[in-house]
Amino acid sequence: MIQIDRNIITGIQSAASGPELHRYLQSAVKLEHSTIPPYLTAMFSLKPGTNKEIGALIRSIVMQEMLHMTISANILIAIGGKPQINRKEFIPDYPGPLPMNIGDLTVGIEAFSIPLVQNVFMAIEEPEHPIPVKTMLADEERFATIGQFYQAIQKKILELGQGIFVQPPPPQVVSPWFPPHKLFEITGPETACAAIEIIVTEGEGTSEDPFQSPGDLAHYYKFGEIAAGKMLIATPGGGYAYAGAPINFDASGVWPLRPNCKIADFAVGTQAATRISQFAYNYANLLNSLHHTFNGNPAELDTAIGLMFDLRVISASLMATEDPSHPGLNVGPSFEYVQVQGGMPQGSV
Amino acid sequence: MSYLDSPRLHFRGWFQADVSTINNAVTAYELPPAEPFDPGWNPQGTGIVRFLDCAVTGAYLDGKQITDPSGDPVIGMTIQNANQRAPGKLVDLDPQQQMVSMIFGMQVRIVSPALETVMQSEFKPAPFINLWPRQLEGVPMDQQLGAVYQSILEGVEWPTAAESPVLDALRKGAHGRKLSIDFNVFGYGRDPKIPRYTMGHVVGTIGPYREGEPEHFVLGRQMINQGGMFNPPTGNIATLQAEVGDNGRSLTVDFGNSFEIETANSGLKDIGTVLVGVLNSNPDQVLSTVDAAGVTVIGEVPYTGKDWYTQTAGVQTFPLSANGEAMKLLPANPLVLLGPSASTVVPPVYSVLLQESVNGVYVRADQFVFRIEPGASQTIDFYATQFGAPLANAAITLSNASALLASLGGTPPDISVPTDGVNVPVGSDTATITAGADGHAQFTLQANANGLTVNGNPWPRGYLEGQLYALGYQLEAQPANYVPNPFNFVSILAYSQKYNQNPNNPPPTWYDDIQPLFAQYSNLYPIMSKYVVDLSDYDSVVSRIGILYLAFSLPESDPNHMPVTRDLGAADRAVILQWLGTTGPDGLPPKGTPPAPKQVAAAGEAEPEDLLPIQKAGKTAVILRYERALAKAGKGDKK
Repeated sequence: MIQIDRNIITGIQSAASGPELHRYLQSAVKLEHSTIPPYLTAMFSLKPGTNKEIGALIRSIVMQEMLHMTISANILIAIGGKPQINRKEFIPDYPGPLPMNIGDLTVGIEAFSIPLVQNVFMAIEEPEHPIPVKTMLADEERFATIGQFYQAIQKKILELGQGIFVQPPPPQVVSPWFPPHKLFEITGPETACAAIEIIVTEGEGTSEDPFQSPGDLAHYYKFGEIAAGKMLIATPGGGYAYAGAPINFDASGVWPLRPNCKIADFAVGTQAATRISQFAYNYANLLNSLHHTFNGNPAELDTAIGLMFDLRVISASLMATEDPSHPGLNVGPSFEYVQVQGGMPQGSV
Repeated sequence: MSYLDSPRLHFRGWFQADVSTINNAVTAYELPPAEPFDPGWNPQGTGIVRFLDCAVTGAYLDGKQITDPSGDPVIGMTIQNANQRAPGKLVDLDPQQQMVSMIFGMQVRIVSPALETVMQSEFKPAPFINLWPRQLEGVPMDQQLGAVYQSILEGVEWPTAAESPVLDALRKGAHGRKLSIDFNVFGYGRDPKIPRYTMGHVVGTIGPYREGEPEHFVLGRQMINQGGMFNPPTGNIATLQAEVGDNGRSLTVDFGNSFEIETANSGLKDIGTVLVGVLNSNPDQVLSTVDAAGVTVIGEVPYTGKDWYTQTAGVQTFPLSANGEAMKLLPANPLVLLGPSASTVVPPVYSVLLQESVNGVYVRADQFVFRIEPGASQTIDFYATQFGAPLANAAITLSNASALLASLGGTPPDISVPTDGVNVPVGSDTATITAGADGHAQFTLQANANGLTVNGNPWPRGYLEGQLYALGYQLEAQPANYVPNPFNFVSILAYSQKYNQNPNNPPPTWYDDIQPLFAQYSNLYPIMSKYVVDLSDYDSVVSRIGILYLAFSLPESDPNHMPVTRDLGAADRAVILQWLGTTGPDGLPPKGTPPAPKQVAAAGEAEPEDLLPIQKAGKTAVILRYERALAKAGKGDKK
């Protein structure tokens, strides 16, 4: 469970206007985005043709994180804010804490492994009261949960009412890439609260049911399935157990990536340097494109989608590249915000 | 006006061309691919083309060369591609015409040290030209050919002011928001173990463009090397273009693709003193030597100077105002590049390394690569010149150049059948078009509305979509002893229309219509099928309908256009979109009935067996094939 600073909740509670809520929704956009690089890296690190079920599970989570980021951005737009995505500060400095987190959890950029899922991904997604039983007592004085963060926003939006919503609504991203019952225009407190409910439920499930919707588990339990190597099923007597069909993990089907690679780790003029730079540049382009999309150009989402697929194919040659200074390990991606394409020496020809 | 004019800026750095090599062999198009299957040296290529570590290194303004940021802050700014969409793609016209590789969807930006975009533009898709064996030695698998791209930058925007006189002058000159760009590529690596793998050097120039002028060459002075296609130039200096500017008071020559390099990273090879001059008379042939009395020297080419090449991209301006004789001679006499004789010979006898076209006449098709839909027409623009000035009323002879194309691309499958696929002259027929007073002539290329069907197959090459045609051209009054540019012919890919667009037809199904196409692309572009969507697999395809629908509906100029090879006509792409948008009872596009398995005959020319992998397909193979074809025809050049 991500523990966030209780001052953030207090800040939301004391907001007296729409603009005072902007920074918290920007934090929500940042937070929802911050899980994508580690999840994406784990997914990309699975070699083609192997670990297909695991790949599909992580992919479904990544897609929902993208939806959550979009929803948070739409709410921010609806109350007159401008999502700020095209900048260095938007991306966490991996390895490190996620946005708003008080620092109890270090999240890095690593190849897929069961311990990574168990110790990091499940910790990110852990609900306040997980089912099956596994609790973690939070210090109610100092810490709040993501669920509480979103509840506080919901409550404040209801309190401030329709007046904080800009009329006519500025262009939001309501795209056929997501089903209309999940991604819809935010027009007032009711639609905003319903949208937040989607973020919370898809991430954590409800307090009684690990499924966010029939057949679709909340993230925490999807990762739980991967860690347990078995699908979650309902047990007689009303409980749940990871006792269903096996989810096999083939450890040889993972690129052996050195964790938390940075561009500066690699000597100029090496394949490693040009490929990690290319990946980071492409990712920065994706954020630039999303920034443009969320700031008045919703149709540009297709361009961002094109960049996402490029990112996938670029990752293939990157992850097959040996790290020259760490024999046996390959180059992992970097999500540094870079704006120049480099990696080769600048000397004259 | 062009990149040879003032103001201009020069850049150098690296380019990456991460081409996929599987489609270098026609046999890879067969289903299943014919054996032995050779995936080439970069089977997982993405097609991405981009600049990296590219920076502005020099500029030219008001008669002065600038090489330092203190002279103008544009020096040191970087040249970048798109920063909020995918990079461009490099695409062959066809596996049987790989010598006109074209860049699509590439954005070009100039970015300040503060990372602000000061200029943003779109590179108008263009192929390279003037390929030659520029690099004399290489590590194994090096691509030792060099080539040049020239095009225009469109939709030019200047988002941030830069307080740069050079950029200000360029902006003021950007008529219609267009600029002229030219860049030379060389030193490209194909060995997967070296840092240069899929990368090479680029040096280039950006300058003004004036509406109505050619976009892909300079309406100037053309110096075409002797030696023929792909051979070392007789005088060791390759084909170039030059321009007399400033009302005759200066001469600007582009040596960017003309000097040899020893190795990929060596810089220019020193071949001794090279002088630019103008002949004192207008001979009816290309000379091999000229004595001092026959030529007026204009100046020495400073190509051995430290950083000259990277700071000028090989574009050198020679002032003429102090050389009245040269100014007088230039309008009616050919330019020459000279190698001086030994100092003991007095008066000197120069060797002529390169000479302007005989009688100064030249004709060029501006764009020379066309992709055309059934029934569509496109305009091919020709420009005839003499000593750089319009050649009024020039008659241009058009011919069929499919034999040349076949010698480059190999057969089978046969190209240019059916003969009426497009309206290029058939067999030995010719046609004539006539230029206006401005030397400009046009030919309307027309594709047959009934498609290309041969023996009932809308794919006349059996397993390859579309068909290739080639249009040759020359001045009707081409002088005897003329040295033509062997790259001056027009390559045309006419698209097929495999699927009948009759609305009464049953809707397309996976097995009947989609799988045969997709399985081919799956084999040809495995990076996509392995990592994004397995195009050969129905379940995989229907799990990614959204992205496929998007990619197949994007225009050819978009970097994410599918197929990346840009070899599928609009009609057949429409059928794919129709299928992706159709839902059967299960909510998914219809699958149909699997066909009975069938045997397919092997295709492709038998290659000699002792070839290295890079010699079997791709550009190296094209040259070997071309040389074999020449040898067979009894006019082989030993090289």
